[in-house]
Amino acid sequence: MQRSFSIELPSLVPLQLPSRMETHLWYVVPEEVKSKSLLKQYSQLLSPSENDKVLRMRGDELQKNALLARTLVRTTIARYQTNNVVDPRTLMFKKNMYGKPEVDWQNYKNCNNPPLHFNISHTDSLIACGVTVHVPVGIDVEDKERKIKHDVLALAERFYSTDEVKFLSTIPDPEVQRKEFIKLWTLKEAYVKALGKGFSAAPFNTFTIQSKAGTTGGYSLCKEKTKTCNGEWKFGLLELADSHYAAICIEDDQASGGAVSVDIAS
Amino acid sequence: MASSFCSSISMQAPISAKTTRFSLQKPVSIFNNRKTNLSFSLHRRSMPARLAVSCAVKQETVEKVSEIVKKQLSLTDDQKVTAGTKFTELGADSLDTVEIVMGLEEEFGITMAEERAKEIATVQQAAELIEELVQEKTA
Repeated sequence: MQRSFSIELPSLVPLQLPSRMETHLWYVVPEEVKSKSLLKQYSQLLSPSENDKVLRMRGDELQKNALLARTLVRTTIARYQTNNVVDPRTLMFKKNMYGKPEVDWQNYKNCNNPPLHFNISHTDSLIACGVTVHVPVGIDVEDKERKIKHDVLALAERFYSTDEVKFLSTIPDPEVQRKEFIKLWTLKEAYVKALGKGFSAAPFNTFTIQSKAGTTGGYSLCKEKTKTCNGEWKFGLLELADSHYAAICIEDDQASGGAVSVDIAS
Repeated sequence: MASSFCSSISMQAPISAKTTRFSLQKPVSIFNNRKTNLSFSLHRRSMPARLAVSCAVKQETVEKVSEIVKKQLSLTDDQKVTAGTKFTELGADSLDTVEIVMGLEEEFGITMAEERAKEIATVQQAAELIEELVQEKTA
């Protein structure tokens, strides 16, 4: 009977911490995880309350995805503890006062834990976890082919800033317009998640994210009311597994300029 | 399970324009296995009064909200949606929630302030906010 308590997963490969302005992005494609016994082992990594939440999801696919999301977070963070071997099961999490999840290091007597920040995002078809050191991070992923059930411009007019609506309305091709809407959505979500103060701290129509002129892949954040743009928040937008847009936002108090550098692994 | 909680009962006598309103401080389950009797004694009036009961959340609203949620999330028949169902438990992400809000606004002819809309986590909460806004509109 003792056997059922031991995890027979291969031991986790340790990872080097990201550098200060680096974000590591880890992702898993749920469709590729087919082994039921592996999923069972994964559920042994979760805390009782996490398992409860998984079971509350309505449907097998949703439960599997919820399980994979928590597993991804626990195993990823555990791998960065290069000084001590950390069992992913022992990691504890708490929420900041606005509800943003973060690692709770109180368990560990060794105070040399790296100031790791993480953020996860999931869609039906992909789950991603971004990791940074020292700076808050927000990520959001969306399926490129995701169908928007409402008229894209109507949604934008309802929720986006005036400049963003202007930008979207100049796009003649509805397919391209839909894709740009989604890209913008992921960027805006990533910012709000990086900010970590809840949705009401930064309603979507109070800020604009736009491509930075003269850069490839650079974006800037501007306030809707004042039209001021500060360089405090850095963005990166990329395509994952050919199927998803992923946006990353990190705080850069040193405002060093330039785009976010991203290492991706699955 | 009694799923309707009524917080106010209004009685209207057919001839007089006056309405006597009984409002209960706490929500009370009035329909309890169809065994509960309602009896009110009207001291001054002897003519029959029509009893109209308005509940905190109408079943009809809950059903309409559930329909919109089911459509937006393309749910299968075995994924049941009840008043207490959380949108996240159905796999709704933030973009789904926003589309659900738009769907509800269109269906009920209301506008939800973003901060209120984002607080909605269950079908019940959506229905409550909707009825509040509809009432404000018709007031």
